[in-house]
Amino acid sequence: MELVVSQLLTGLSIASILMLVALGLAVIYGVTGVINLAHGEFVMLGAYCAWFLQTEFGLGLIASLVPIFIVLALFGWIIEALVIRHLYNRPLDTILATWGIGVMAQQAVRLMAGGELRYVEMPAALSSSVNIFGATESAYRLFILGLALSLFALTWYIYRHTAFGLKLRAITQNRDIASSFGINSGRVYRATFAYGAGIAGLAGALVSPLKSVSPEMGTTYVVDAFMVVVLGGTQSLFGTVASSGILGELSGFLAFHSNDTIAKALVLLAIVILIRFRPQGLFAARVRT
Amino acid sequence: MNLTGKSAQQTLLYGAFCVAILLVPLFLDDAFLLNKYSRYLVFAMLAVALSLSWGYAGILNLGQATTFGLGSYCMAMALKLGTVPVHTGSDGLPDFMVWNNVTELPWFWAPFHSMAFALMAGILVPAAFAALLGWFMFRGRITGVYAAIITLAAMVVVNLVIIDQQRFTGGFNGITDLAQFEVAGLAFDAYSSSTYYLVAFCLSAVLLLSLAITRSKTGMILQAIRDQEDRVRFFGYDVALYKIFVFAVSAGIAGLAGMLYTIVMEFASPTFLGVPLSLSVVIWVAVGGRQSLLGAAIGALIVTGVQGALSESETFLESWMLIMGGLFVLVVLFLPKGIAGAFEMLAALFLRRSAAKVPSVSQPAGEAITHGEGAS
Repeated sequence: MELVVSQLLTGLSIASILMLVALGLAVIYGVTGVINLAHGEFVMLGAYCAWFLQTEFGLGLIASLVPIFIVLALFGWIIEALVIRHLYNRPLDTILATWGIGVMAQQAVRLMAGGELRYVEMPAALSSSVNIFGATESAYRLFILGLALSLFALTWYIYRHTAFGLKLRAITQNRDIASSFGINSGRVYRATFAYGAGIAGLAGALVSPLKSVSPEMGTTYVVDAFMVVVLGGTQSLFGTVASSGILGELSGFLAFHSNDTIAKALVLLAIVILIRFRPQGLFAARVRT
Repeated sequence: MNLTGKSAQQTLLYGAFCVAILLVPLFLDDAFLLNKYSRYLVFAMLAVALSLSWGYAGILNLGQATTFGLGSYCMAMALKLGTVPVHTGSDGLPDFMVWNNVTELPWFWAPFHSMAFALMAGILVPAAFAALLGWFMFRGRITGVYAAIITLAAMVVVNLVIIDQQRFTGGFNGITDLAQFEVAGLAFDAYSSSTYYLVAFCLSAVLLLSLAITRSKTGMILQAIRDQEDRVRFFGYDVALYKIFVFAVSAGIAGLAGMLYTIVMEFASPTFLGVPLSLSVVIWVAVGGRQSLLGAAIGALIVTGVQGALSESETFLESWMLIMGGLFVLVVLFLPKGIAGAFEMLAALFLRRSAAKVPSVSQPAGEAITHGEGAS
């Protein structure tokens, strides 16, 4: 029992991080159709912001979350305005351009902050551990889980219940017709991109106390996040949550029986086999395209 | 424009390039430089491989380095077994296995005692890997960005597995201290013209073979698939089969390039399957011109050449990736067809000016094609 619960919790913890990273990606891809390969670097920048705010200004992690979101959202805004805007009708090229941006971000950070590993301190209030059904789990990981779920809820609320979300959905269904009804799709795309980048920054800040912060950290996250999106299907936010849950638990389970690398390889194998039979992802909404 | 005339011109251009790279050692007697240039030529071959799948079939393979690395490991395994073991007795166990307490040569290492097997494996293993991955992707009708992501994910995972399985692969350090490549009594010293000739010859063969493929009926269908996949399917062609074919051929070429790279560099390392290399390949091809095999090869030569020249200065070494990333973004934004495309544009401009009175017919057709791409 104890083992089962602790396994489940490990899986949930992996899943919550996956979800945080994948959420921004899924929002951007779902709405604009842009595959943002610089997403991992947004995560990395968020982690570095947390490190910077902590070492330079002594700001705790919780207090720095809002500034980090704003900084990264601004960054995303600028990137969209400078580069992405010109590539909406060349989807394959967005991959290339964002990849180039990612490389530049990585190298810029390496030049400015150095290539060595950085560490961010966990908030003192959350460094204890909690006992759940006999299994112990760190309070911080539970905090991440809670925050990931609330961010998802917020995103879902914006998407379903606000005027902005309505415009978003209209554009997703048919950009041209939405535009002809007076929706400024360019502005909506830019706001979406900024929001996705901001969430990525939050994800980076939140994982920074758990893993070491390095300029290369983005690559693994972006690959994992894409697996989530591929598995979940791109059109549904719930698909992202469900597939993060599945992948998290599966990785946790497989890693318990072998090691992290083998777990990752097996999960990828499972996804490759799955897309052969369900290319639209597990939870794709039935939409006409 | 006369099509046969144009294709003859193209053949001539490719031939001239092959002759040019084969002539280099006649003017150059510096072993170090020859080794460097052989490396560049290997990269050019890798670029040709990507151009074949990306430029001609529309499959953006972000993990081209996977197959390159597989090829290079095949060669390294064979060359490792060709060394005289230092730390073990007569059973000839590679040194890193001894350090990792492996007592017996693993079964998949055993056949690499034969160089002929290794040469075949270096091409067939990557090709089979790609065919399998391609079967899952293309039979599932995964296209465009999704396929790109999956190739990237596959590469990251293969890389992790190789590093993780240190006992059998040498892990992070890769496979080092290799024997010299020898075939049919000929020894290829990495720092000699013989290796350069080997690489240049292979690159020429690959270029001409790829050109032949793109000109064949299969090549035509592949280009049609790139432009309008559904229409080709409606005509009754097995789209997935064609894609798997070109994906596997491209992987085989990359595998060959990987084998040559091991011969030139005298080691194999997990960085050969890394994201940075894969990204570089995409950049070379994008800069050179994705829809031109020769353009891709020249793009690789230019970018790696500039990189080699700049990396001698300290400041540039650090900011190289920054410059490269910026250059890449600019090329994607403003020069989607790369250098080759720019040349074509200039040539067209020149031709139009010299025959100003003849109305150009090819222009609207070209526009229609770009429009079709944008819509897909």
